[in-house]
Amino acid sequence: MTDQLTFPDVVALAVPFFIAAILIELTWILIRKRGGRYETLDAVTSLIMGAGNVASGIILGFITFGFLMFLWELTPLDLGTSIWVIALCFVLDDLRYYWVHRFGHRIRWVWASHVNHHSSQHYNLTTALRQTWTGTFTFMMIVRAPLILLGFHPAMVLFCGGLNLIYQFWIHTEAIGRMPRWFEAVMNTPSHHRVHHGRNPRYLDANYAGVFIIWDKLFGTFVPELEEEKPDYGLVHNLGTFNPIRVAFHEWVGIFKDITQPGITWRDRLNYCIQPPGWSHDGSRDTSETIKAKHLERNPEDRGTAGFEGG
Amino acid sequence: MPLEILGPMVVLGIAGIALLLHLAGRTAPMRLETEEDARRAWLREHGEDAPGAVLVAANGRAALLRLPSGALGLVTAMGADPSARYLTGASWETTAQGLRIRLPDFAAPRFDIALSKDERAAWLALKDQTK
Repeated sequence: MTDQLTFPDVVALAVPFFIAAILIELTWILIRKRGGRYETLDAVTSLIMGAGNVASGIILGFITFGFLMFLWELTPLDLGTSIWVIALCFVLDDLRYYWVHRFGHRIRWVWASHVNHHSSQHYNLTTALRQTWTGTFTFMMIVRAPLILLGFHPAMVLFCGGLNLIYQFWIHTEAIGRMPRWFEAVMNTPSHHRVHHGRNPRYLDANYAGVFIIWDKLFGTFVPELEEEKPDYGLVHNLGTFNPIRVAFHEWVGIFKDITQPGITWRDRLNYCIQPPGWSHDGSRDTSETIKAKHLERNPEDRGTAGFEGG
Repeated sequence: MPLEILGPMVVLGIAGIALLLHLAGRTAPMRLETEEDARRAWLREHGEDAPGAVLVAANGRAALLRLPSGALGLVTAMGADPSARYLTGASWETTAQGLRIRLPDFAAPRFDIALSKDERAAWLALKDQTK
């Protein structure tokens, strides 16, 4: 069994590309006066979040890697490192990403980590780098376990995860409208991912894909970007600060306050952690379901249209 | 990539992009020009709670809103965009520049709002009417 296997740290290697691409997008927007918006504090916050994400990976990465290596010691399977195995690993890891991402929007404990990626009211290449500092604490490394147990080496799985993250960088832009139809059908694109970042009721909890949009189509979460409804970016209730510490930890603080309030049951306390964002024991807050339902009450003509099929 | 290369690259990259954005005029905060701007910003986040009275600060960076429920709402500029919050549990202080409003909200703990003396008096009066 291959224990000592190394793959390049592709995310770190991509940093110069990230910076160059941001400068190109910004120049394009400044010259063409279209294709997106930039704002200094927002962009700096996003970039600091990105740097913090890399730093947290350096500091806490041993936990995930240690867990995956523990599983690697358990499994009798070793698929090797051929190019086809790496390609298969990439596809299966993207399926893993889809579910982790879906959990990230449907389980508040995981949302507490992911929320900061959605906390910008802008949608540009810096938004792509607005990444979590607290991903390790979601324990979502567990979702990688099947890949390791199937015989994909941990280093390869993490390498594919890095490639996945790099792929997703370029789709955080308004400078690109639509890609060719065949590409839009199979791949995640700026158009599909703009929907994912939309706070419009129609676009909530849609398009979780990393690289291949086919997962959303397969699992019923795909919503196309409509010409007549531009995504409104940000959170349902936007933050009132650019402080990166508050951006990184605000939802964790919210969970702590909720679970420590007096007068609720232990089941309520658990539900504040595992129910979807917006759940409350007294129904005083809105989840994406209630937001959609209220929208349909006000706009019944939208019932049955994209994003409201289940309403 | 070695940390001694990655670290300076990240720091210089962030500083360079920030400088470029600032020089390109992307630092100016949004302005609420009218009461209607403030209403629209409020309804964007709280669509079921249409405000009644609205006081927009002269500098256009904040607005105080009275809501049908009797609660107060605050719209503030978050860079180029608005942010809207209920002022439930807020504490108010007068400052030399206007008002400081603190909220029991980790994601929006404090707002320093520049107001003239007359504006401040009007904001405090609306607050007191709403009690």
